[in-house]
Amino acid sequence: MTTSSTLTPPASPPVARHDGSGGARLTFGRILDAEWTKIRTVRSTVWTLTSLFVLSVGLTALICFAAAGELAGEAADEPIGAFATWGLMFGQIAALVLGILVATSEYSSGMIRTTLAAAPRRWSVLAAKTTVITTLLLVLGAITSTVAILAGNFFLDREGIGLTLSDPDVLRTMVGGGLYLAVLGVFGLGLGLLLRHTAGAVTVGIALIFVVGNLVGLIPGAAGEWLTKLMPGNAGTTMATVESFNPDLLGPWTGIGVFAGEAALLLLIAGWLFKRRDA
Amino acid sequence: MITAERLTKRYGDKTAVDAIDFTVRPGAVTGFLGPNGAGKSTTMRMVMGLDHPSGGRVTVNGRAYRDLPAPLHEVGALLEAKAIHGGRTAYNHLLWLAKTNGIPRRRVDEVIGMVGLEAVARKRSGGFSLGMGQRLGIAAALLGDPGVLLFDEPVNGLDPEGIRWIRNLIRSLAAEGRTVFVSSHLMSEMALTADHLLVIGRGTIIADTDMSDFIARNSAAHVRVRSPQGGVLAEALRERGWAIRRDDDGALLVDGATPEQIGDVAGSRGLYLHELSTVSASLEEAFMRLTADSVEYHARTDQPVPAGV
Repeated sequence: MTTSSTLTPPASPPVARHDGSGGARLTFGRILDAEWTKIRTVRSTVWTLTSLFVLSVGLTALICFAAAGELAGEAADEPIGAFATWGLMFGQIAALVLGILVATSEYSSGMIRTTLAAAPRRWSVLAAKTTVITTLLLVLGAITSTVAILAGNFFLDREGIGLTLSDPDVLRTMVGGGLYLAVLGVFGLGLGLLLRHTAGAVTVGIALIFVVGNLVGLIPGAAGEWLTKLMPGNAGTTMATVESFNPDLLGPWTGIGVFAGEAALLLLIAGWLFKRRDA
Repeated sequence: MITAERLTKRYGDKTAVDAIDFTVRPGAVTGFLGPNGAGKSTTMRMVMGLDHPSGGRVTVNGRAYRDLPAPLHEVGALLEAKAIHGGRTAYNHLLWLAKTNGIPRRRVDEVIGMVGLEAVARKRSGGFSLGMGQRLGIAAALLGDPGVLLFDEPVNGLDPEGIRWIRNLIRSLAAEGRTVFVSSHLMSEMALTADHLLVIGRGTIIADTDMSDFIARNSAAHVRVRSPQGGVLAEALRERGWAIRRDDDGALLVDGATPEQIGDVAGSRGLYLHELSTVSASLEEAFMRLTADSVEYHARTDQPVPAGV
């Protein structure tokens, strides 16, 4: 690799100079275009989206392959539909991490200063980041959950317990996987922007979704029951499953509504701080 | 044009920038000189709208930075060498940046050519040397062809060739009529590039002067004279009203007199001279004197050395 580049004479940029009154202006569309360029030009995006797909589809296929025989047996009382997107439980971590990285990678590199020098309207920058992560995960999440259902169902079908693909709950889950992962990505973005530190945000995110979500169930009585229903990781998941393992959780549409509300609240708090804090 | 009025930044009960006023004018290089921790970077970040002032205001071309309709077309900045995601190629870094302000793609290739990064433009910037990172930062600053440029410690960590390149670049940008604001903690660097000098120490402006004035005022020479009859000579020189100090080896340091005048005084009294020379003070010393009270962290070189070391 060449370490030294050729020395050119001192730069003499074209003399025609803008003073801001020219045609080029900062617009939301341009900030959005820039954020899209950012996310598609780093490898971490490719890696996280690949692991999202591979984990979700692969683990779903694996568990359906392994469990189909037993599920087909008479003694089984497990909800079969819950297995059709089983791998998403692990794949979702990638969506969370991608959302976190959209914010924290700018802070770990100091690039946030370059970003805000180019686009000082901070709410617009946040809105652009949110749009990019939502769109990306909505599309890729829907594709992932659809492929996971098809792959899992292949093995369930062989044992004669396959799902009917035209079933409304199955169709809802195909899109719902995208919805859930998109909200999770936004949740990650909010968390990342709040904490400005990748490892910290990933730890807190995973703890909230996997650990605390299950721990609150240990609280006795109605309080524990409701907390379980409302925890971010629990509320949204029913949207991404044909049938839930836990029948006490909120319904898919109510659940995703609650989760989206929580993510939006987190994002607003993070955005408010983002606007106020020094970059 | 950059204008600061009573610009202040406090962190808790510590005041990093204390109600400073200054103007950076077009067509000249304004050097922003001060020891580390004096408030240079904080001030520059406030100019860029990155840090919020605790008081006062700062404007670029009459507007607060956040109100600029197309910031990159008005202001270009090199604030820190590594404000770049290492996983992205140099080209893509400049590309997303260009997109924010509607700058065409061909301008990206143009600035890459200007800073001489063609060979590595498609490589990820994480593997760049400090000098290459600095060039990429300068390419980003020039992207929108702005009339105002800020460089925070641009020569830090560069090799001599890179330093000369940046000096020439900075001079030529000002010669084109742009407003150029350059910070440094090295007086020698400022003496070479700046037309105007803004000295900051402990968050306050302690000098705001033309570089040539500063040099004329602070590089005043003194004369060193050594004589076997030092005492008598000192007496004779004092009678003429010149200030005398004694150097470590017993020689006299005379302010305000030329060697000719001193030689004449000695000759008229029949005194022998063993040495008579002009010693010019360095600008670095002048700067040290100016900021001596405002250096945040003094190295303690006057500590007694334990015996036997």
